Amino acid sequence: MKDTLTGEMNHIWLHLFLISFTLLAVYPILWVFAIAFSGNQSLMIADISANPTFFDHLRTILPWPQHISWQNFSDVMTEQPFARWMLNSVIVAALTTILGVFLACTAAYSFSRFKFPAQRAGLMSFLVSQMFPGTLMLVPLYIIIVKYLHLGNTYWGLIMVYSTTAIPFCVWMLKGYFDTISVEIEESAIMDGATRTMIFFRIILPLAQPAIAVTALFSFMTGWNEFIVASLFMEEEIRYTAPVGLRFFVGGFAQQWGYFAAGSIIVSLPVVILFMFTQKYLISGLTAGGVKG
Amino acid sequence: MESLPRNKGIVLKLWICLLAGLALPCQVTAQTVLVVWHSYRGQEKVAFEKVVENFNRANALRKISVTTLAVPYDAYADKITAAIPRGKGPDVFIFAQDRLGGWIEAANTVEPLDFYLDDAVKQRFLKSTTDAMTYHGSIYGLPLNFKTLALIYNKALIKTPPKTSGELVKLAKKFTQPQAGRFGLAYWYSNWYYHAALMNAFGGRAFDPGPEPVLDNPENIKSLIYLLKWCNTDKIMPADPSTALVTTLFNTQKTPMVFNGPWFLGEIDAHIKYGVAVLPTIDEIGGKPMRPWITVEGVYIALPSRHKEESFAFATYITSVEAAKIMATIGRQLPANKAVYALPEIAGDPVLSAFRKQLDTAVPMPNFAEMTMMWSPASTAMNKIVKGAASPEEAMREAQRAVVESVRGLRKSQ
Amino acid sequence: MKKFVSMPVAVGLLLAAALAFFLGALFVDQAAEDMARSIEERRGIVQAMALSEVVSRIESQDTDVEGRLATAVKYWGRLETGGIRVIRLSGARLLASSMPGDGTIPRRLKMDEKYLFDLGQRLRIARETNRDEGIARKKEIELEHMPDNRLSVSAPYLVDGAVRGYVQLNLPQHKPARLASRGPAILGAALVIGVFFVLALALGRYGIFRPDGRGLSRGQLALAAGVLLLGLWIFAVTQLSALADHRWRLEEGLAEHFMLVREASRDISQSFALKTAPITDNRWDVDEYRRPLHINDGHGHLRLKGLDGVQAALFKEMRRSFDGVGLLALALLLFSGAGWAGRLKHTLVENREAYLYVSPAIIGMLILVFFPFLYGIVLSFTDATIYNTGAPLKELWIGFTNYVNILADIHVFARTGQGWVVNYQNFYWTLYITVAWTVVNVSIGVSVGLLLALILNTKGLKLRAVYRVLLILPWAIPNYITALIWRGMFHKQFGVINQVIQMCGGEPVAWFDGVFSSFITGIATNGWLSFPFMMVMCLGGLQSISQEMYEAARLDGAGRWHQFRYITLPSLKPVLVPAIIISVVWTFNMFNIIFLVSGGEPAGSNEILITQAYKIAFEQYRYGYAAAYSTIIFVILLAYGIFQIKMTKATEANI
Repeated sequence: MKDTLTGEMNHIWLHLFLISFTLLAVYPILWVFAIAFSGNQSLMIADISANPTFFDHLRTILPWPQHISWQNFSDVMTEQPFARWMLNSVIVAALTTILGVFLACTAAYSFSRFKFPAQRAGLMSFLVSQMFPGTLMLVPLYIIIVKYLHLGNTYWGLIMVYSTTAIPFCVWMLKGYFDTISVEIEESAIMDGATRTMIFFRIILPLAQPAIAVTALFSFMTGWNEFIVASLFMEEEIRYTAPVGLRFFVGGFAQQWGYFAAGSIIVSLPVVILFMFTQKYLISGLTAGGVKG
Repeated sequence: MESLPRNKGIVLKLWICLLAGLALPCQVTAQTVLVVWHSYRGQEKVAFEKVVENFNRANALRKISVTTLAVPYDAYADKITAAIPRGKGPDVFIFAQDRLGGWIEAANTVEPLDFYLDDAVKQRFLKSTTDAMTYHGSIYGLPLNFKTLALIYNKALIKTPPKTSGELVKLAKKFTQPQAGRFGLAYWYSNWYYHAALMNAFGGRAFDPGPEPVLDNPENIKSLIYLLKWCNTDKIMPADPSTALVTTLFNTQKTPMVFNGPWFLGEIDAHIKYGVAVLPTIDEIGGKPMRPWITVEGVYIALPSRHKEESFAFATYITSVEAAKIMATIGRQLPANKAVYALPEIAGDPVLSAFRKQLDTAVPMPNFAEMTMMWSPASTAMNKIVKGAASPEEAMREAQRAVVESVRGLRKSQ
Repeated sequence: MKKFVSMPVAVGLLLAAALAFFLGALFVDQAAEDMARSIEERRGIVQAMALSEVVSRIESQDTDVEGRLATAVKYWGRLETGGIRVIRLSGARLLASSMPGDGTIPRRLKMDEKYLFDLGQRLRIARETNRDEGIARKKEIELEHMPDNRLSVSAPYLVDGAVRGYVQLNLPQHKPARLASRGPAILGAALVIGVFFVLALALGRYGIFRPDGRGLSRGQLALAAGVLLLGLWIFAVTQLSALADHRWRLEEGLAEHFMLVREASRDISQSFALKTAPITDNRWDVDEYRRPLHINDGHGHLRLKGLDGVQAALFKEMRRSFDGVGLLALALLLFSGAGWAGRLKHTLVENREAYLYVSPAIIGMLILVFFPFLYGIVLSFTDATIYNTGAPLKELWIGFTNYVNILADIHVFARTGQGWVVNYQNFYWTLYITVAWTVVNVSIGVSVGLLLALILNTKGLKLRAVYRVLLILPWAIPNYITALIWRGMFHKQFGVINQVIQMCGGEPVAWFDGVFSSFITGIATNGWLSFPFMMVMCLGGLQSISQEMYEAARLDGAGRWHQFRYITLPSLKPVLVPAIIISVVWTFNMFNIIFLVSGGEPAGSNEILITQAYKIAFEQYRYGYAAAYSTIIFVILLAYGIFQIKMTKATEANI
């Protein structure tokens, strides 16, 4: 056992590292905040002077607006039905998460626990499905969803597309995690007369919380920031999602970066909240399982 | 599900008619709902919706009503390409002319309008805006608004805007102080669209004759050499220009003059007093004017629409003086309808009339399908040229070769 | 019977034979119908071309045009036509018509006749386009099969080389003559298969072949397959020769019709004293691009040479169809005969629980991913562009040409005045950049993500939750704006990065001017965007490692590195490997970042494959070529995926 002093020392170094890294990582985002709060529309660019001193340089790299204003935020929320679009996004992303994670869990469980023909092929096919570049496949996708399935202008059309985008990774991730949960627990449960379904819901899912949290976050993000499919499928403005609404600010000739930055911050809030919520599952630590040899 | 109430309504009316004993001729003319797509936002959207509202009010008796859908610009072209050929799209849509050629060649998106157009309607537009809507001698859309570059200047820094290139350079040099990040003139000169103003002034062009690409013609090269003079000899412009840089420089008063379009006005900070003037003439070629490209937002009727005559009525309405006035005053747009500029409130507006004046020397941006394949090689060439990585001749020859190759890949005998 | 021909083989053979003959008959019928249809169309085109020639002469004489046209149209009615219209584009005039319901002629076209005017404009534009571009790209004659079994043919008439209007003819279509009975062919083929069974029965009884050895069942299959193919061959040969006869008769009929048209045309020309050109060739027998077919000579005789070409093309296609049918039948035979069908059924029943768990996800994937994917693959074998939208893919089929064009261009380096330079548009250069881009990005993402996860997983570290939330922000904020902020940070004069360099006394760098420095800008941005994802994945993965293992290792005196190398890394593998594979796939196809940050600068040297594919599809409108590009990307990634899994045996972890 290492003594506590070196532990503390290590932590100080870790904190130093983490603080400097976090600062670097957050730096570009500070610019987003600076633009959002500037009340203006231009992407800010360093303000340089003729014979810059060290401090001039320092001043130019500080992301701080000349004056601070909430104008951009209030405009974003009032000029368009942005709150409604946020709600749509939450609905779509949440259902995508639920559907995607659930289907991925069942499939991953099967891949992890059963042995059956075409297992490898099935698992591979999930991965393969991600490999064909999607940008060129928008029109076929549109034809399937809107023309054949008649899911244009519905949340379900989007949810289907987003969850099929998210599922492959989720299946692989969960399968990998399920593999680390030892089989003995299940075997003893079967001895006690539990059915497969019971085992799946009562034992496996609770044990896999960290992985489910990760995949849930991932599925949510898949649906959350997507804008092109959403603008393709929806036929009423009231049904747009938030990323679609955001894109109105920057398309074509006019670029209103102040609005876009403010909107981006608003749009990323739910993600941060969701992350804070999933954190406790993410680090809940696997204690009941134990690693398989 | 959405259409259920409407169907119910019709059924109800039918029942009422039956119950009325069929004494009167049954008038169950269903409401015609036209769907219109556009990509307006902000004030432009407000103006557009106001026009639509007026149309709906005027046509309530004819049972025509219009519903609109705004689509973000970045997804708009994809949405049109995916939806309209499948019959799922709108009846009418509004888009710039740059993709018109592609849609016509694909033969499943836009309806030709020659048959509907009488002289009265044709005459109401500024000539060059109708040209932008014409492809192989046929008109495919009614021009709604146009956009073109002009000289936008900071009134606090520039008393009278320069009329000639000599004045421009002189004024700009006085202001330029590269070390302090101050430049007398800023525009996205490495972008081909912006450069086109100079290119056309020198008699340059992208296609000649018809849809044959001629990027490397001598006039284009002369115009590039002239641009290099501004960059390297006069040194009045910043390096690595982009829209963001130009906007910021103007807003921080580090540049007094920019070449930019009407879209830029919304990005100018509120405290800056700006003026708009016509682009200067170029002394070196005998005072010929700079000739920027015009992009025209056209009103198109979707080929699969089942209400084409009503759609055309709507297109005619929104291009009328009445509608144009709303779009000019509320949306701050530049209508293609020429009569609107004679109205006192528009004629007295310095911004709108300056852009209107600029239109006289401007030329419509080509609408050939081949145009889209020109952007990428041309911007590569432009970047090389302004960075000094290649001479104008070399770069443009290379671009021309690339375009010719892509065109050959596309045009084939069947 | 069971002894020689096992049950599955017999069932398979019968099914395969039934399928083969059914499909074969279908194809032959289809071919016969297509043939009849194309003859009908040519009959219409000959008439329309002849009439348009007459109309253009009447128009160019410019005396009593409308009266003469009315006479001509009336006279033309002697031929078998269901109605004629002559339309002049300028003024949208209907000059003459013999169609019922057209009312008083001449007049302007009515509102609901707009389609007639648009048709004329299309023909005019087609003619002008083909002339300007010097190729035959757009159809100059339009054919339409009407629902009431009529054929409508529209052909332009030209005056002084310019399209002035067009003629439209409605023709009643003949019911296609039936092909010579296929009874004998089926009989012959059935006979072969029947004899096989009888022989088999007999031989089996006498015990010549005994079903003892395993090899024998293969022998049975081979024999059955041979018999099946022989039967199909007999069928195909007889049917093809019947088709050839059929065609000959149809062509003769067409030649006769041509003579009638010629007569009518001559009569009209003479009665109005029009100038006519002598008929040396059948210049009216043209395809839809108005190119002469040279099948008959203008005097009612067929030209063998012209005919042979058409015939050969048809036969080639038919043979290909029969090859396909044969393969399909063989597959069916094998499927049943080799016992696969039985095994499949058995497997499905046996593992129904496993399949039940997997199926919802798989079905979703099948619908939404594999259909577009198959469409993309099919498209990659065609020459589809925006110019031929709507044409059936079969007509655009060009085999592997797209792939050859992409892969066979190995001129990565070109010699110019200044020595050797890299051709940045070349596929292999782009591939090189793409691979470098992917490898560097994923390495950065994984190492930074893993490092942070390890640090944040330290027990007792304060403020972990705060760090974690701050560190996922790059993932949470829409990357459209952050990518552009990164771009701004790399600006030569105003960018923050150069300010810092100057602050430290360095010289500013023109980031987007050099191939390498521009590459760095993309890497920095994408690395920044992608590490949070990896961090979260690793954090999740780390939870599966129990603390006891570390304690046990520590007791054994293992150092930090050893613990990491022998406990952490192997335990993370099941989570890390899929995350790496998926990141590789995404980064390989990462479109936004390149596009937004460096834009591929300088001179397109930093483009990756997907941005090229995008440009080909949406800027150059060459859909087939772009699909081939995408398929190549897919194959590369597939190869990588298989390789990676083989290397790590990730799938074997718990199977």
